[in-house]
Amino acid sequence: MNGVFAAMFFASLLSFLILDPEGFLPALLAGGEKAVSLSLSLAAAYCVWLGFFGVMEQSGLTALFARAVRPAARRLFRSDDEKALSAACCSVSANLLSLPGAPTPLGIEATRRFLEGGNPFGAHMLFVLNAAGVQLFSTTALSFRLAAGSASPADIVLPTFLATLASAAFAVCLLFFTAPNRRKKRRPRPLRPRARR
Amino acid sequence: MSALLFPLLFLGVFAFALFKKVKLFDAFSGGVRGALPLLASLFPSLAAVLILSELFSQSGLSELLARLLSPALNFFGIPKELAPLLLVKPFSGSGSMAFLHEIISTYGADSYLARCACVVYGSSETCFYLSALYFAGAKKVSPLPVLAALAGNFLAAVLGCLFCRIL
Repeated sequence: MNGVFAAMFFASLLSFLILDPEGFLPALLAGGEKAVSLSLSLAAAYCVWLGFFGVMEQSGLTALFARAVRPAARRLFRSDDEKALSAACCSVSANLLSLPGAPTPLGIEATRRFLEGGNPFGAHMLFVLNAAGVQLFSTTALSFRLAAGSASPADIVLPTFLATLASAAFAVCLLFFTAPNRRKKRRPRPLRPRARR
Repeated sequence: MSALLFPLLFLGVFAFALFKKVKLFDAFSGGVRGALPLLASLFPSLAAVLILSELFSQSGLSELLARLLSPALNFFGIPKELAPLLLVKPFSGSGSMAFLHEIISTYGADSYLARCACVVYGSSETCFYLSALYFAGAKKVSPLPVLAALAGNFLAAVLGCLFCRIL
């Protein structure tokens, strides 16, 4: 990000110097103004959604959700480490609900456990799943549209979900097909004993 | 149809919470407690990126960039106005959030471009940033997961723009 920032800043600065030196400071201040108004609408969205997720957490819905996907996760991450799996599941489901702030710490925790347990595949899989970002809906995008006076702010939910689903499936397949030679080194998987000859 | 989504979501979750004897007020306000620290942690980079993006667009460079990239993006059915959003997303969440806000306020919340931008924003992640966090402690980092994730995100952008047109 630092390199990108420096490059873009100097490029714009130079073009201002040549074309329009007087417009430079007003442009900076306009940016600052936008940052403040954007933060206000973000604060409103976070209040609503973090409150909502607080209720979800307390009622045990988040944990319930994580437990429901556990069997699938065991296969997907090729791991039996319960703690790593549970952190991974919570991370992915928090991401699914676009819970701001929660997926990353959980994901880092699970990645550390996968790597320490000698399972880089699990760590890579978790990263790809979270980075492909399967999301039911993006609270940020929704609140921006609402604030801008959209007539039906929720009509982005379905396309977003379908697009992320396809991209996650694609990325997971990509990982599966590019990492076949590593499979032999791993411990035998207890889930499929018949595969061994 | 989609207007019912949020009322029903809240109804379902809150009713379930009541059934589970959760103290709704305490749980809700407990959740909100995290809102301001979260915003405070985002604000510095948000401000830096918004100032940069304002500078970049007013200097006319963003238009130039979009025009350079538009043939490639057009080929995949992605509008050229989304170029800055697509380029910044892998690096910075708050930066792309800023561009998303720009697009929505410039073209209107219900325009095709804004809906597209929302889908592109919602369906991708900050791949480079995430990989820096996730694999910070790893001894050797494989480029595979990052490449796979980037490819997935690009596919999501292409499909998202397509879905926005037909759905």
